Amino acid sequence: MMPSLLALMPMLVIGFGALALMMTEVVTDAKTGLSIGTAVVLLAAGAFAGAGWLAGPEHLGDASVFAPWLVFDKFTLFFEMLLALGGALAALLAGGYLREHGIERGEFYALISFSTLGAMMLVAANDVLMLFVGLETMSIGAYALAGFRRSSPKSVEGALKYFLLGSFAAALMLFGFALLYGATGHTDLPGLRDTISAEGFHSTGVVVALALILAGLVFKVSAVPFHMWTPDAYEGAPTPATAFMAASVKAGGFGVLLRVLLTVFGDERSASWATGWPPVVAVLAVLTMTVANLVAGRQESVKRMLAYSSVAHAGYLLVGVVATIRAPEQAQSAVLFYLATYTVSTIGAFGALILCGSRGAEVVSYEDLAGLGRRHPAVALPLAFFALSLAGMPPMAGFFGKWFVFKAAMDAGLHGLTIIAFINSVIGAYYYLKVLVFLYMREPAAHAPVAKPMWSGEVVTAIAVSALCVLLLGLAPGGVLDMALAVGAHG
Amino acid sequence: MSAHSETSATERPGAFDIGIQDLAWTALAVLVIAGLGHYADSAWIPAGIAALFAFATVHAYDRTTRLSVGAIGGLSALFVVKMWPAVAAVTSAEPFVESSTVLSWLIGLPLGGAVFLLFMPRQAHGLLKNLTLAIMGLTFAASLVLLGAVMGSGYHFDQNVAWIPQFGIRYHVALDGISLWLVILTTFSVPLATFVSFGSVHTRIKDWVFALLLLEAGMIGAFVSLDLFLFYVFWELMLIPMYVMIGVWGGSDRIRAAVKFFLYTMFGSVLMLAAILYLAYAYGQVSGTPSFDYFELQRLVLPRSTQVWLFGAFALSFLIKVPMWPLHTWLPDAHTEAPTAGSMILAAVMLKLGTYGYMRFCLGLFPEASIEWGINLAAVAVCGGILYAALCAWQQTDLKRLVAYSSVAHLGYVMLGTFSMTAAGLEGAVLQMVNHGISTGALFLLVGVLYDRRHTRQLADFGGIASQMPVFTAMFIVATMASVGLPGTNGFIGEFMIITGTNASLRLGHFAGIQAVGAALGVVLGALYMLTAVQKVFFGPVTKKENEGLQDMNSRELIGIAPLVAFIFIIGLAPNLILQSVSGATTRIIRDVNERLDASPPPDYHRGEAKLLNRRPEAPPAPQTALAAVAAETK
Repeated sequence: MMPSLLALMPMLVIGFGALALMMTEVVTDAKTGLSIGTAVVLLAAGAFAGAGWLAGPEHLGDASVFAPWLVFDKFTLFFEMLLALGGALAALLAGGYLREHGIERGEFYALISFSTLGAMMLVAANDVLMLFVGLETMSIGAYALAGFRRSSPKSVEGALKYFLLGSFAAALMLFGFALLYGATGHTDLPGLRDTISAEGFHSTGVVVALALILAGLVFKVSAVPFHMWTPDAYEGAPTPATAFMAASVKAGGFGVLLRVLLTVFGDERSASWATGWPPVVAVLAVLTMTVANLVAGRQESVKRMLAYSSVAHAGYLLVGVVATIRAPEQAQSAVLFYLATYTVSTIGAFGALILCGSRGAEVVSYEDLAGLGRRHPAVALPLAFFALSLAGMPPMAGFFGKWFVFKAAMDAGLHGLTIIAFINSVIGAYYYLKVLVFLYMREPAAHAPVAKPMWSGEVVTAIAVSALCVLLLGLAPGGVLDMALAVGAHG
Repeated sequence: MSAHSETSATERPGAFDIGIQDLAWTALAVLVIAGLGHYADSAWIPAGIAALFAFATVHAYDRTTRLSVGAIGGLSALFVVKMWPAVAAVTSAEPFVESSTVLSWLIGLPLGGAVFLLFMPRQAHGLLKNLTLAIMGLTFAASLVLLGAVMGSGYHFDQNVAWIPQFGIRYHVALDGISLWLVILTTFSVPLATFVSFGSVHTRIKDWVFALLLLEAGMIGAFVSLDLFLFYVFWELMLIPMYVMIGVWGGSDRIRAAVKFFLYTMFGSVLMLAAILYLAYAYGQVSGTPSFDYFELQRLVLPRSTQVWLFGAFALSFLIKVPMWPLHTWLPDAHTEAPTAGSMILAAVMLKLGTYGYMRFCLGLFPEASIEWGINLAAVAVCGGILYAALCAWQQTDLKRLVAYSSVAHLGYVMLGTFSMTAAGLEGAVLQMVNHGISTGALFLLVGVLYDRRHTRQLADFGGIASQMPVFTAMFIVATMASVGLPGTNGFIGEFMIITGTNASLRLGHFAGIQAVGAALGVVLGALYMLTAVQKVFFGPVTKKENEGLQDMNSRELIGIAPLVAFIFIIGLAPNLILQSVSGATTRIIRDVNERLDASPPPDYHRGEAKLLNRRPEAPPAPQTALAAVAAETK
């Protein structure tokens, strides 16, 4: 009885916690505590996932009595911890940002919580129906978050684009699931796997289903050519929501992508270079990295640049996904570890961007950053720090994450793909350096609007925690690395 | 002993100037006391006396100047006493005990100092400057401990602890005769550059000293790391501070130069990272345990088809850093736009990472491919590096650009000596690395002095400076002579050894003689462009009004240049001080390469799968127990 409850605790804590926070917002006027409350609830959920990890997922076995459509293995628990951390940091960012910009409403926190819950259900799903429910729970929260600034046409435009394309992608995926059910008679992932590996992959239905599902999934992780919504949605959304979308929604997307590809389509034929999905994903990876890096270099808005940067990172991650075909354990660990480094780096970067601007004097373009390094060094330093981590400079976390993914790809024998990824990371360095150029080397043009930094304890806390994680994952990655490797080894 | 009198004599031309006179006396006294150190039991006594003497000699100046002169006097005496071979024999009654943490201190002091300075108030410029100099002085003093060890052919001060055991990544630092002098060059020239820079850099002092300290830590770390992952971390770590230094405190076109510098270097280094990954992968395939350790990867013999690509990736990265023609185009821009201290450090130390990296990693890990390609690359070094760069330098109208191109030419010599694979060539290459650091560092410093006064570097804007700035002229000519390789200066020894080594080389095939002639021709061209420049700037009538009444070098600049000029002559007259500890390491490199080539000769090197050789005898003992434990764990 107890152990099975422990497995469900992360989701229960978030679910009930979010309901309680919603009620608090209704019955009292107090808004200041909401962001910290949300962060505490999410971190508590993460702590329960950690407890489950320590107890060992094999001891959580009878959770299947409660929830046969969910699976609680180390993979799920790792993602639960990561998603909880990402959501909590985003909530802290929101606490400072929404107050500063006068759009503080309690729904934001409920949306973040439920969206995180959806992402957790998504990675834990053991059944395509559950998977779809989780995906929609996550996505609908994200759509609403993107359009949260109702008075801004940009925000609404981005949210609408995201919603329309997202629903379309979800519909494609649902159609894929239906085809899969028709071809195999199963909706549970193990059943699908067994049927497909036994006979099914030759049937046209399964192939079309794979294509449709893949399209839906890479939409969620915003890989080229399914990335069109990303810059608009990321730019229009309030920055904490952008950070949440870039970190948690992407992490959830990659979680389910790994789960589906490795579990359902992990048999010899589906996962072979000659007959299966790997070449498709490899092409997507190359396209994603190259297009995103080239386009990101031409952006004038920092937020759009970070949006394209998140697309580029999806490309590097896809390289790791392809590598799972030959070095399954190592590559899976590499993707997980990369997601951890990417989550803290990207949330830190958006947090630093929030801190750089205040109401009416937000940082939009590179020009707004000019001279900030001299006028406000304490605000410029974190932004430079996280930009360097995203660029993959040692000794920051981003370097080690990239290194691990590329190593996995190299070990999998994908030498050409690895070289392309390496060259892309040089192209990527260019636009991250542009941030440093404007922060430290340019002076603002005469009469140009000057960005004024804001102050918020919550945002500073989130940045400090992210910075600590970035250094920790870069210099002493041992602990997290062990966890990622354990996931790879035991599923 | 002849070095003593010569050094003081060269500084006498400016005897009419009070500053130079005092400095000359100080230098003389320091060296005499250092000589007395032969008979003292401890090196610290003459060093202390020298410091006090130096402090007392410059009594006419303010306290800051006196303190700095005293500190420099003490450290120089300590350096000379430590370096002198007789002392080690006389004073070391008991055998020298190598501490395994010295190298970590050398990295940690500047790194920790940089972090510490972040918490200092931004406005307290004096405090920041003094703390920085104190940290760098301390690092230099700590680096003198390294001179106590008898280098031989082995590795010393070995420290090897697990860092990321999951992948066999270790924190492994050690030092041999080659890296010893490069580390000392770093700890010696960075404080000088910093000290001089405080005369011209007045904005954002905190960021400036932070970048300098970080840079020093990165460079020392790259010179001593023997784990390829660790090496790469330090290699990239020094990129950012230099990028920021050029981009923030540089000239008018600084941003373009900084980005160009960064992207060039980064492009090379990511390909090297790919090669490092592949190398570790290949090693794991053969041995079953992951490792990034230099000595473990050295055991790997790869077939030609893969080795050539790996060698190419490493060599590209290093040759961009050197830089060798045609990859050199970032260097003139970076040097021209960089602030004086940035140029000094870039020329004195950072470029050496390319030549050092080639010597350590290309020759050590891919001996067969290095030899095969060395023949062609040597031709490039002669034609593109030595001769073409010299002609480019001749055509420059900007004094700093001229010195930058002369750097390309000088490092062409270093690369040629490395490709020659003879004892004289390799020793000369190592010596020339140190020489180039000293003489080109001095030249950049002096160009900076001129620029601070006139805010131009165009040759046409000068003329007749000798009559206005006699001390400066004397110093510039000394540095020029060292650069063109006048006998008696350090440049001569290095170039001479490289040319003889090239001529005698068996590895360069039929063209060794022609290449030696080409390199000798380069010396002539070097004299041509440097002396033309000197003639245009310093001699003839004063044609421009602005050049009249220019102030001669001030005490800060003199203090900065004096140690460099002293070492031009010390090394020029007693090169054995350096060579005696280098020769063991270079002999080892040549022997290792020859052994490998005998076992796996070109064109195929080695047929079939990759194989593992035994660990080299000079390699520090592997921490076998730890490796075995990891191996058991991962299985």
